[in-house]
Amino acid sequence: MRAPVWGVGAVVLSLGLAAALSALAIPLGPDGDWGARLFPLLAAAALILAGLSEFRSDQRGMPSEGGDSRKVITLAALGVLYIWLIFQVGYLLASPPVIAATLYLFGVRKRTTLIVAAIIVPLALHLFFFRLLGAFPPLGDRFDILDHLTFL
Amino acid sequence: MDIFAGLLTVVTTPSLLGWVLLAAVTGMVAGAIPGLTASAAIAMLLPLTYYMDPLAALAFLYVIGKSGRYGGSIAAILFNTPGTAASAATQLDGYPLARKGLAGKAMKTATISSVIGDFTGDIMLILGVGWIAMLALRLGPPELFGIYFAAFIVIGSVIGKSVSRGLASAALGMLVSMVGFDPITGLERFTYGSFDLTNGLHLVPLMIGIFVMGEVFAQLDQGLQSARPSGHPPDDKAKNRLTWQDYRHCLPHVARSSVIGAFIGMLPGLGSAIAAFVAYGEGKRRARNPEEWGKGALEGIAAPEAANNAVSGPSMAPLLTLGIPGSTIGAILMGVFLIHGIQIGPTLFLTSRDLIYSLFACGLIGIALYGLIGYFGAATIGRYIIRIPAQVLYPVIFMISFLAAFTARGNLFDVYVMLAAGVLGWAMRKYNFNPAAFVIAFVLAGGAEEAFRQSLRLSDGGIMIYLERPAALLFIGLGLAALAFRVRSLNRAARNAALEDA
Repeated sequence: MRAPVWGVGAVVLSLGLAAALSALAIPLGPDGDWGARLFPLLAAAALILAGLSEFRSDQRGMPSEGGDSRKVITLAALGVLYIWLIFQVGYLLASPPVIAATLYLFGVRKRTTLIVAAIIVPLALHLFFFRLLGAFPPLGDRFDILDHLTFL
Repeated sequence: MDIFAGLLTVVTTPSLLGWVLLAAVTGMVAGAIPGLTASAAIAMLLPLTYYMDPLAALAFLYVIGKSGRYGGSIAAILFNTPGTAASAATQLDGYPLARKGLAGKAMKTATISSVIGDFTGDIMLILGVGWIAMLALRLGPPELFGIYFAAFIVIGSVIGKSVSRGLASAALGMLVSMVGFDPITGLERFTYGSFDLTNGLHLVPLMIGIFVMGEVFAQLDQGLQSARPSGHPPDDKAKNRLTWQDYRHCLPHVARSSVIGAFIGMLPGLGSAIAAFVAYGEGKRRARNPEEWGKGALEGIAAPEAANNAVSGPSMAPLLTLGIPGSTIGAILMGVFLIHGIQIGPTLFLTSRDLIYSLFACGLIGIALYGLIGYFGAATIGRYIIRIPAQVLYPVIFMISFLAAFTARGNLFDVYVMLAAGVLGWAMRKYNFNPAAFVIAFVLAGGAEEAFRQSLRLSDGGIMIYLERPAALLFIGLGLAALAFRVRSLNRAARNAALEDA
């Protein structure tokens, strides 16, 4: 996945322009003061300049060869699904399929490892974060197994 | 004298000593695992410290930073894979020694040199920090903005392969920090009507995303290439004994490199990797045996390791005296100070003097502990690390990141922020942007904006105030000079490369 330098420059420039427009949309202060806009505009200007200078740059800073971005996008999507699942059924039920899928993405194919990790990892993390440290666990809106397994 | 009171506090508090010991081991292991950095370990463990008292929390993370810097040498020597960027210099001579069956000797050299460098840096910090704080008390908003400006430029431009991408990373970090209410006027900025964004983005999920989740994505992207250790830990004890005759030639290099590391540590943004390579280059230039460097010279391990760890203490000076973190670990520690309600800056030495010197004492004890554990146990740690399958480790880290981000504020929105920051961190790594500059700029932006706007009010809106105040002008000039120097040196390197190709 080798993006041309101008592609990176275009992204940076677009971000800078979008930030500048958003900064100009910040309301003025009570006496027409630009205070709240000033620093965002300076940062946006720095982004625009950096984006423009990318168009003049040579091959420095090109992305490394190879890599599998599709796997990364899949894992990120899995992360979004995981958060949604936590909202629905709580941490303990949402985690086993996600850890198994993550292990699979990282190349683990042994079924026993997948099953054992799907049970042990969420349970161990639950006990550590929510029992030992006393943090409050994220509960599911629709169903949460902690309502039934009160000893956990 | 404050440091002795601090040492007394630490040695008479067993729980604190326990945290320092745990930190020494944790940092060493995290640093030694290829692909996992001390910054990532600290970001991941940060939520644990909410449940600790401020000194224990700060000491735990501070010592992880120190021993993590050292731990990188274990991976560099044993596995030919630097555990941290700084230990890449150690790898040059460390791995050839390991191939000769002298990994134990190499690791002992790295341990002693790291300990000497770290002690030197910390002692310089303890002696000089109060003096810097006194000077800092005299600085007004224009001078502070000058320092912030120089820090932004140096952090953005000096690290990494591309100046424009480094500066873009810093500018992006500044913009992201401005999401939420403007602290002075209370006006909403970049919230786009979202209630969740009105409180701004929290530092902890952002850091977990950039440093931890970003690394998980990067490892998956690269097929765990840099995370699969293989090597041969030492088994011949007699051959690996380090004698005075072996080490005495290293001492001048260690002394010089400690000073180099301590000096570089004081400058915001430069960090361990630059210190290690500068010390290595300088050491080789002055060595009695330069032809052996790169082929397995003990001095080639001693020099970068001393410099690498000497950075640790002095890098705290700008953080503690000016509230400007000089490194990613400093940025994370700044978050811990704020979480525990401690205002950092020059007045810190008036309001929390005992805490600061106790923290320094924890640092000194932490150095001694990781030195002892490393000297006698680094090979054992290496043997265990070889057994950790990266295919299982990174998925577990993936899962921990979600919980660590959630427990920061008990808010699932933070988990989305962490995930988004993870994708951003991965993309920044992939396209040679600078994640460290992004995070440091995120942390610095609030203070910089405050100083900037206070300066404008002082001068009734005139930007000329920066030219009328010599110290402010000096810092701004230093920032611009650093940028010009960096652009020039990169252009020269590119011209030389083009000539070689032709």
